[in-house]
Amino acid sequence: MGEPQETHFAFDFVPLQSPDQTRIFPFYENLKKGRLTTTRCKGCGATHWQPRVVCPDCNGDEMDWVDLPANGKLFAFTAVYAGAPLGMERDVPFVVAVVELDGAPMKVVARIDDAKYEDLKIGDPVRLKVHELADGRVWFRFVPT
Amino acid sequence: MRKVAIVGTGLTKWGVRGATYKELVQEAGKDLFDDVPNLDKPEVDSLFVGSALVDRLAFQAYPAPIVAEQLGLKPSRMAMRTEMACVSGQSAIRVAYASIVSGLSDVAVVVGAEKMNLPSMAEVQSSMACVLDREWDGVNGLNAPPYFALVAQRHMHEYGTTEEQMAEVSVKNHDHAATNPYAHFPKRVTKEKVLGSTRIAPPLKLLDCSGITDGAAAVLMTHGDAAKRFTDTPVFIEGLGQAQSGSLVVNLESLTTWLPLKRAAADAFKMAGVTVHDMDLAETHDCFTISEIMEYEDLGLCGKGEGGTYVTEGQSRIGGELPTNLRGGLLGCGHPLGATGVAQAIEVTRQFRAQVPQERYVGGDWGLCHNLSGNANNHAVMVLHRGG
Repeated sequence: MGEPQETHFAFDFVPLQSPDQTRIFPFYENLKKGRLTTTRCKGCGATHWQPRVVCPDCNGDEMDWVDLPANGKLFAFTAVYAGAPLGMERDVPFVVAVVELDGAPMKVVARIDDAKYEDLKIGDPVRLKVHELADGRVWFRFVPT
Repeated sequence: MRKVAIVGTGLTKWGVRGATYKELVQEAGKDLFDDVPNLDKPEVDSLFVGSALVDRLAFQAYPAPIVAEQLGLKPSRMAMRTEMACVSGQSAIRVAYASIVSGLSDVAVVVGAEKMNLPSMAEVQSSMACVLDREWDGVNGLNAPPYFALVAQRHMHEYGTTEEQMAEVSVKNHDHAATNPYAHFPKRVTKEKVLGSTRIAPPLKLLDCSGITDGAAAVLMTHGDAAKRFTDTPVFIEGLGQAQSGSLVVNLESLTTWLPLKRAAADAFKMAGVTVHDMDLAETHDCFTISEIMEYEDLGLCGKGEGGTYVTEGQSRIGGELPTNLRGGLLGCGHPLGATGVAQAIEVTRQFRAQVPQERYVGGDWGLCHNLSGNANNHAVMVLHRGG
């Protein structure tokens, strides 16, 4: 037995985003362009969150990509002060929220950057921010407007 | 239809234990087998293991054969692990019930076990965060405390519930835990101490949260005709319900009303032919203080939004309408995920057998066990009845 080797994990929290790993890769390509999108079923017209490859309502498997509003309001929020998972320990405290998107019957969970918990209240307006990882992957967050 | 009874119980000391998953299983097994001297181990034909995160926290998949070997069992009819996160324990009892009722099993051991304290708390928290949808919820740093903080904030916003009312749940359950030598936190706390404890995810503070705990629990179950061979006081499972709805936080039907709890409880009470008002005691899933407040409401013990008042009035204390979480709950005992649901059933069983310290003895004939998991998208309810 040699010394312990540096360990590389296959996964962290951010989804694998390339076409060789996921069929919803357009979500990430759209996000890189600043668009928050999801799928709408061509068969029954239902829009889902998260993006799907098969419609859970009608079993259809043909989807359109549709844009979601980039603006929303805080429905609920808190801040993580302790107990952050690996890769997020250095970010504490950070705000995480349920955001109600403007004009869409849709909510998303996201981190709120550039904000302190104390300064926020339910109903505060926020807008989309694209967060880029060092390896080229992207994720969505929001910031107060 | 066959009746199914819990006829023996075993627990370990819960806490930050210098013991592995397998050693905790051995300890719970010893306590169980000591409790049922009439049992010959070869009679045990089935084994059900409730462990939620053993793959990640003990770096061990496929625990059922390992648990069987640790306990000296060779299950010949049914053996499996049940994994439903924090409901893994009651799920194991539920599957054992189904197996015994169907005749596939006659004598079953149920073990709930979790080893949660590792050198790296961030690694433990990462595993916990994977209980939520890792790609769309956990990725945002959402985990149990921040998720239940969102629930608490909305409940406060919609119904005027206060942090002081939530603190009363912690005070009560620590009062109960102080009578329980198996508990991780057997010490009373004041309301001021709860309110002043470390901020975790506001409005939740450290003492609003159940602990990261190592522990195991085990029960012996059999059918009605065999029960008296093992104990004078079998505890019969008269009703069960389980309901699940949604996965992603934003796809839940409601943050502030637990509809799956209402459905699971309705099924369990209907099956048992009783109501929540017939219960003499209850073990409910107080993973966070806000959880127990919502459980009073969604079990129908008080109106919606009145859960805070229910606890401050003392209705869930000994002498109140329904003494709740007499062993100390998850807040007082800690929460080794897979062990919790089994330990809840053990508290009711030991209460019915008058095997608990006098300070928290309530006894009675009917007991409720409620176990929830994930972002409260899954609830399981059992109604237990004292036989003998």
